[in-house]
Amino acid sequence: MSEQHNQQHIHIDEYERQWITGITIMLGVFFATLLAGAAIFGVRPTGQGGFVNPQKLDETMFAEPGLRHMGGDEYEAVILAQTWFFQPNSMTVPEGATVTFHVTSRDVIHGMIIEHHNVNFEIIPGHIAEARTTFHEPGEYKIICSQYCGRAHQNMFATIIVEPAEDATVAQGDE
Amino acid sequence: MATLQPTLGNEARKNKPIMTHPAVRLLEHERWQVGAHLVVAFIALLVGILMGPFQTFRRSPWMQNTYGNITEAITGNAELITTPIFTYYYQALTLHGVLNALVFTTFFIMGISYFVVQRSLQRPMRSTLAVWLSFWLMVVGMVLAGYAIVTGQATVLFTFYPPMLAHWSFYLGLTLVVVGSWVGVFNSLATYFAWRKDNPGKKVPLATYAIIANFIMWFTATLGVAVEILTMLLPMSLGIIDTVDPQVARVFFWFFGHPLVYFWLIPAYVSWYTMLPEQLGVKLFSDTMGRIAFLAIAVVSIPIGVHHLFQDPGVSEIAKIYHSALTFVVVAPSLLTAFNVAATMERAGRKRGATNLIDWTWKLPWGNPVIAAQFCGMLLFIFGGISGIMNASYNMNTALHNTTWVVGHFHTTLAGAVFLTYISITFWILPMITRRKLYRPGFALAHVYTWFFGMLLFAGTMGRGGMAGATRRTDMGAPGAYVSEAMGFWMNGAAISGVILLISSVLLYIVLVGTFFSEKQDESEMKAPVATEAPEDEYAPPIMEKWRLWVTVIIISNIIMWGPVLIQALDFTYGFWVTGRPDIAR
Repeated sequence: MSEQHNQQHIHIDEYERQWITGITIMLGVFFATLLAGAAIFGVRPTGQGGFVNPQKLDETMFAEPGLRHMGGDEYEAVILAQTWFFQPNSMTVPEGATVTFHVTSRDVIHGMIIEHHNVNFEIIPGHIAEARTTFHEPGEYKIICSQYCGRAHQNMFATIIVEPAEDATVAQGDE
Repeated sequence: MATLQPTLGNEARKNKPIMTHPAVRLLEHERWQVGAHLVVAFIALLVGILMGPFQTFRRSPWMQNTYGNITEAITGNAELITTPIFTYYYQALTLHGVLNALVFTTFFIMGISYFVVQRSLQRPMRSTLAVWLSFWLMVVGMVLAGYAIVTGQATVLFTFYPPMLAHWSFYLGLTLVVVGSWVGVFNSLATYFAWRKDNPGKKVPLATYAIIANFIMWFTATLGVAVEILTMLLPMSLGIIDTVDPQVARVFFWFFGHPLVYFWLIPAYVSWYTMLPEQLGVKLFSDTMGRIAFLAIAVVSIPIGVHHLFQDPGVSEIAKIYHSALTFVVVAPSLLTAFNVAATMERAGRKRGATNLIDWTWKLPWGNPVIAAQFCGMLLFIFGGISGIMNASYNMNTALHNTTWVVGHFHTTLAGAVFLTYISITFWILPMITRRKLYRPGFALAHVYTWFFGMLLFAGTMGRGGMAGATRRTDMGAPGAYVSEAMGFWMNGAAISGVILLISSVLLYIVLVGTFFSEKQDESEMKAPVATEAPEDEYAPPIMEKWRLWVTVIIISNIIMWGPVLIQALDFTYGFWVTGRPDIAR
């Protein structure tokens, strides 16, 4: 490769060409994996549950937060976050229950993480966040506020108790 | 050769051809300009950095118990388990974020940019007055914001999401810091355009090319946070408006938030691309590929910010997917950098006698604090890059969002690669400013390695803690906080790194303060590794310096990428109905 040639085009070293090809393939594969995960296994981030008037929550489903049995293994949890607690504070579901969460905030931005489950999102006043997960393992899991919301932020958590299938008689959401 | 520009150099150099890397004697005005920015940066950092280790102690159950036992032994009262600095956790966290990530970085970057632009273009800043106007605006801004935080009226963390509301002086202070930086940005651009006029057809040196790219990106990005502060937060804190839309505020914040990290990173890359080769005594592997990397960062780093909003209920899934895709694209310039810098380092290793595939890595000068700091930063950045790709991975983010994993990630990037490279720059530039020898280079080296290993441990433990479900921004040491056994274990690990990093910080400040009082140095020995000319034997298409074109590309791509996100976030039904809450932040 002579100097004159180099004046006419960008010179890229042979090894660098291979490197660029390599990283392009790598990033492409990564991204394809993500899309496949979303399309095939349904692993998706928080969904848009629509708008809600934060000043008139009493006229919406958030007037009575709680857990509802929708038949079969399906449950629906309506959760209202505010400084510094979740309503309801405790929920009990049987092993294998699939719960759809509808969550909003009464005041500032909160967050919600369920230990060991793929539920993790921001709770923004004016918006309803939606997520869905299945509780396969019996145990007690904390719902933890994950966004700083003031001086008692660290005390803001609720509990989900997953009962083993044999002794689950009736699932209930208590306040 | 183009005629000599009004040179900054000493009298003797006027009669010699300009060397690529001239030995320099900094002029008085440069010493003051760069020095003032560095001094303020490191005063802010001192306060900010000290808040870090105490947070790790506060979160660690083991530390809390030990501290309680010691207190009990001394005072006989087991209830006295906290010290004041421990109990103001969120206030300390706000200071840590604002001072380190916003104030330290901005002052440091402005100071170093003035140095790079003046040295590599061989001409003074277009306006000296504007340099000082910018500096004082930023100082007043820092004092105002600092006042609000220290008096407990702005405990809103460095992301200050509404409707939580701080004292107006916090927002006004941040506005002044940004506006001050804008003055510096336009001053630098004016200096570059004046050089461009005097040097038609010449390629601008790579270092200045990077600074220009950085400033164009910074100005565009800060428009987002300016809209957020000026139309929402400042009027609300002054009582002019009562309500705000928090989702829209988050959209504007993260329009700014991601390019912010590249604003920090580009000056570090400037050091790796243009200063490290000179420090190692070799030529950069590819100047043109470096330009491509900087241009790509400037263009692509803004329209990807939705990867910070993956878990927001007000952003559509399709926007999350296409911002995720473009985030993967912006990884490319960093991987190009990895190749280019590693190839340059290999050259240096070969020059020192390396012969096989890997021996060049240990034949490099690992005992020189200026060079070792950059190498350690690069090593940390490998972890930062990998964890960053995981964060940006659309659905994988669900497992990581708002956990301490994220804290581990950005401590390998900002507190790793960026911080250590800034320290490297400081180790060679501070002696030029003070005209004294670097105080105790052994301490400087010890700082670099303790910081490296401390940060590695911190990132590792915080990462694992996050996987165990520990949330970031949570005062886990407070009474009644939920800490599972696994979280506690990893937070104990992080506290050990806190001890190491505290020692490391002390070493750093001994070196920095000591350099102001150490023995005088012969100025002719000092060398600023900033190239004044672009290599003639490498072709770079002139279109890469057509900034008007690239600004147009930036504007159009952001309208396409952010327009739909903003429109969806706007709540036309109940829009802007969320009441501000000043009571919570105070």
